[in-house]
Amino acid sequence: MQVSTQELKSKIIESLKLQDITPEQIDDDAPLFGTGLGLDSIDALELVVLLEKDYGIVIKDIEEGRPAFRSVKTLAEFIAAKRPQ
Amino acid sequence: MTKISIAAASAATEADLSSARLGQRFGRLDLQSQLALLAASSLKINFNEFAPDRIGICLAASAGSLSTDVNFWNGRDSAGGPSPTLFAYTLPSAAVGEIAIHFRLTGRNLCFVGDDKILLAEAADLIRRGEADGCICIFCEVVTTGCGKLISAAPIAEARAIFLKRGEGLRELRELDRDMKPLCALISQTKSAG
Repeated sequence: MQVSTQELKSKIIESLKLQDITPEQIDDDAPLFGTGLGLDSIDALELVVLLEKDYGIVIKDIEEGRPAFRSVKTLAEFIAAKRPQ
Repeated sequence: MTKISIAAASAATEADLSSARLGQRFGRLDLQSQLALLAASSLKINFNEFAPDRIGICLAASAGSLSTDVNFWNGRDSAGGPSPTLFAYTLPSAAVGEIAIHFRLTGRNLCFVGDDKILLAEAADLIRRGEADGCICIFCEVVTTGCGKLISAAPIAEARAIFLKRGEGLRELRELDRDMKPLCALISQTKSAG
């Protein structure tokens, strides 16, 4: 099931309590960590919680999730592939 | 004897947080760290005038991290578990780290769980011993409603900050200067009158 990047960006902003940033300001392909949105390791854990809480996706192996956390686009694709029907 | 003065004083309450603009990540801080950072920022000290490793940070948190601990505990039954971000703030000294990160300070720091009675004296000692040229002193009183029920205390969310430095300032630090609340009020009055 597809998830819109717009919806995902809104959830990321809400979940990570980012201030002074709108979904429109986040590029679909921009890196989530380091440069780009500048998230850190605690944010990564918060995103893991977000996936479980809002999409029912449990990441047991962080290596499995690593490629998904590259950008909003890759995260949306990961959710679409893993989301329980 | 080394002369130590109060260079600035400030206060922050929960009501001040909504208008605070302290960066994209300010929202993820717990209440205590937000108040502490806002109070430190409200000192309006240009820390770039000092070497980063010569500014100390001394914090007293009246209830430690108890309010955040309660919030974290209350999140244990939610899907995905309690917030990992919140976990980082179940350390009473977390606010010290946030202030250090925000202002890029690398000097000595201290954290007390309890009142502010020895806070200024410890900060002054840090300067007297030559371990710092200035010190941000923060006193946080944070008891959320949930925490207050647990410890039978009235809810409160306030932080006060004083910047002590070697040499001249707004007022020389005296031996009996211990309570941050009246001292901050006095400095504000002095500044207004001036």
